[in-house]
Parts: sequence; C-alpha cells; structure tokens
Amino acid sequence: MDKLLEVRSLSKSFGGLLAVDHIGFHVDEGETLGLIGPNGAGKTTNFNMIMGELSQDSGEIFFQGEEVSKYPTHERVKKGIARTYQVPRPFGETTVRENIRVGMMPDSILQMLTMKVSTEREREIAESVGLGVDELAKYPSELSMGDLRKLELARTIASEPKLLLLDEVFAGLTTAEIAQLSTLIEEQKKNGLSYIVVSHDLKALAPLVDRVVAISFGAVIAEGSFEEVIASQKVQTAYLGQ
Amino acid sequence: MANFLAIFAMSWDALSGRTGYISFGHPFLIGIAGYTTAMLTYHLGVPLYLSIPAAVVVTMIGGTLFFLPALRIRGTYFALVTLAFMEIMYHLTQVIAPKVTGGTRGLSGLPEMVSGAVPNYYLTCSVMLLIGIGLWSLIRTGLGTALSAIGVDEEAVKSSGLNTNRIKLFIFTISAMVAGIGGALYVHYLGSIAPRALFDINFLFSILVAALVGGAGTIVGPIIGAYFLTFLLEYLRPYIPGAGRFVLYGVITLVVYYFAPKGLYSIFSSLRQRLSGKAGTG
Repeated sequence: MDKLLEVRSLSKSFGGLLAVDHIGFHVDEGETLGLIGPNGAGKTTNFNMIMGELSQDSGEIFFQGEEVSKYPTHERVKKGIARTYQVPRPFGETTVRENIRVGMMPDSILQMLTMKVSTEREREIAESVGLGVDELAKYPSELSMGDLRKLELARTIASEPKLLLLDEVFAGLTTAEIAQLSTLIEEQKKNGLSYIVVSHDLKALAPLVDRVVAISFGAVIAEGSFEEVIASQKVQTAYLGQ
Repeated sequence: MANFLAIFAMSWDALSGRTGYISFGHPFLIGIAGYTTAMLTYHLGVPLYLSIPAAVVVTMIGGTLFFLPALRIRGTYFALVTLAFMEIMYHLTQVIAPKVTGGTRGLSGLPEMVSGAVPNYYLTCSVMLLIGIGLWSLIRTGLGTALSAIGVDEEAVKSSGLNTNRIKLFIFTISAMVAGIGGALYVHYLGSIAPRALFDINFLFSILVAALVGGAGTIVGPIIGAYFLTFLLEYLRPYIPGAGRFVLYGVITLVVYYFAPKGLYSIFSSLRQRLSGKAGTG
C-alpha cells in the first residue's frame, strides 16, 4: 500500500518543554491508524502540526508524496486532510445545516456569492453521519455531545477529505453513541477514507484500527498491531507507571 | 442625518457585525473619503462626479491598511489598534500640510450635491437603501455564512478549507467602500469638514450604538437603530434642550439593549415569526 501521510522527524518545543521529539510515523491509503499515549504525550500537538495550525520546529510532513509544511491550513484541507477537535467546535451562531455548508463551501469569494445551496447534499451528508432531517434546522446549543461529534464529522466529511484526523472522538459519549459512531467511521472507511484516531478509550479504539502507534513524551515508544502495542512493556509503563 | 448614520452603521456592521473584528476606527475610513473629496473640490475644483468616486477608491485602499492588523490580532486588541488609526488621522490632518487640509478649522464652502433639505433627504435615503439592499443580499449568500463562522471560530473555518484572510480582506474592502460613499456624500451634505467633527469618539459611539441597538450582523438592524436614535434625539430636543437629552438618550439606549440584547431587529423578527406562526395555525 502507498503511504498517504508520512511524518518524518517532527519536533516541537513550547519554551523549555519538548512536546514532540523527532517523531516519525505514517498512514497508508485506506488504513486506520490509532495514535495512543498518556495525557501530554503530544498527540494533539502532532495533529495541530499536520493541519498547519501549529508550525513545527523541524521535520517534514508528506501527504501523497508531497511535502505540505509550506501550505497554510486551508490549502492542506483542499489537498485532502481534515480534522475534528477534542472538544467539538461548531459554529454556534449558525444552524446544523449551515455548519455543514461551511465544510462544503468553495474557497472562492465569487463562488460563495453565486453558489446554489445544495440542500439535498447537505441532508445526505447529515444522514451519512446519523443526523436526522429534524436536526438540520437546530442550533449546536440544542444538540447532545454525541450529535455535536456527528456534526463535526459531517462538516469535515463535507470537505471531501482523503485522511481524517479524529481527536478524542469518543470522549463524553455513551456506550450506544460510541457504537453508533464506530459504525459510521467504518462505513466512511469503505468509501475510501483513511484515519488517524486519537483516543483514550482503548476498548472503543481496538476494533477500528489496523495499526497503532504509541507515543510518550513526544516520541514513539511502540508500533504494531493493537495487541502488540498494548502488550508492550514500554506502553504499560507509560500508562501505568512503574 | 439618519440616512448617513445608517450608512456608517451598515458599513461597521458589514465588517464587525458577524466577523467579531470590532472596529473602533470607522471614522478613519469616513475621514479618508471626506478629506479626499473635500480637498479635490476645494483646491482643484474637481467636479463631484469625479471627486466622490475618487474618494471611495482611496478609502478602499485605506481599508486594506485597516485589514493588516486583522492578519495577526482580533478582539479587544484589534479594536484598540483601529481606534489608534482614528487618532492618528485626527492629528495628521492638523500637522501634515494644514494649508491643504485646513488644519484644525478644516475646510468649508464645499459644493453641495443638491440644494434643499427635501432633495438631500431623498438622495441620501436612496443611496442608503441601495447600500442596504446590496449588503443585505451579500450576507444572505454563502459569504454571510462564512462570515458568521469566522466570528465564532476562525481556526475551525480554516480547518474547513476556507482562506479566511481572503474573506476578511473582501469584507474589509466592502466595508471601506460603504464608509467611503457615506463619508464623501456626508461632507458635501454638510458643505464643510473639520477634524474634530469626524475623528471624534462621540461620532464613533453613535455609529456603534446605532448598529448594536438596531441589531448587529443583520444589516437591516443598523438602519432601524440609526433612525431610532436620530428621531429619539430630535424628539427630545424641545423637551430637554442642551446636552441633558444625551443622558436620556443613553438611558433609553441601555434599556433597549438590556431588554433586547440582539437589538430592535430581533424584536421585529420575533413578532413577525409569531404573526406568521399564528397565520399558519389559524
């Protein structure tokens, strides 16, 4: 399989704290990679750097063979990388439908001014993540945490990504909502979407991932199948201490 | 005066009403337009049909200057930087070439667009309504949705694949264009221009209050707000002469804002919704 995303020797410091330490990993096309590690391991910092929301101190990020560090966030999204946030960040002043519309919007002022709103496509995207027609006119403040996560998923899917970075996608969800979201992730994967999933909920993560990378103090400490990584002494020490 | 206040408040609303980039420097933009057309007509005798478009273009260029801090800062910091623009302009008009700008006293005896109060009213009202329709149509497109999204979470808009700097530059230029049209017409309505009248904190607050009391982010709201405030001041004039009426004006504004924080427009739109709901169920 071809590498969809490859991170080479990426580093980031905040003052005297080395948050990401020459990290390297990759995701193949059609693959779901789990990125695990204790709090403060650098998982979200990696996502921020891959998206261009944070610039790396050193290292390279290749997407489909092209070095993308030079591109701003919106250009990386156009190339096919999208993300969700640990805490959902909906556009609170607009409806669910309009939130999805922002994800679908062309990046051209002229096209924004003349675009015909495809309500049918908006409904399709909402339904693909399990949001019903009734939810489309609601405001984010009226949604449960589960529906907010679905909305964020819908908005990212609307930008037609090839790789989706899911940050703590199961946090705050009930068991039933986790099962529903996992099914949605699997369904989108069948459509060709690849993932990097960050989650503390290892039980929810296990059936989704093809491979896992474990990090601690910003560096890779184990890599392999879910079972191999979980069995690793380094991972157990990182999570549980000595 | 209500029409000019409406134009200025709509200009402010286009930039700040949805994006969260609060401008405290709109008089800077209005002043650029006012001084450009005033100096062209006063010193060079340029006709109004050339000086006003020229003033609008120069103001749009000024709008890009305004945009530069928005590349890096927002919120209170942006507001303060834009306020500095206004203050700098105030001092520059007096220090740099006072013979050209008229210095502290400004320029008077400027040509009028039309003579008489009624023709002036119809002219400014028509311009105001045209601008209102234009901006209202603009915010009902996808751009309006994108502007609202920027106001909530600009980073998440970038993560949705949109170049927010381009969107901001566009709306800043549109806002400057509207301020330019209003500013240029305003000085020819007054027939004079003076730095203290334009680059003044009270003038700025009138614009902000008109937009906020009317309903920010709606374009229609600032028109309602401008008319409400202007009529309020004028109706109070016979009863409370002098500066005393400004106190009552402030109190009434606070009361309106307290009971309708989203502005007078929200009261009208909720009434309309109730009426249409009743009509639907009836």
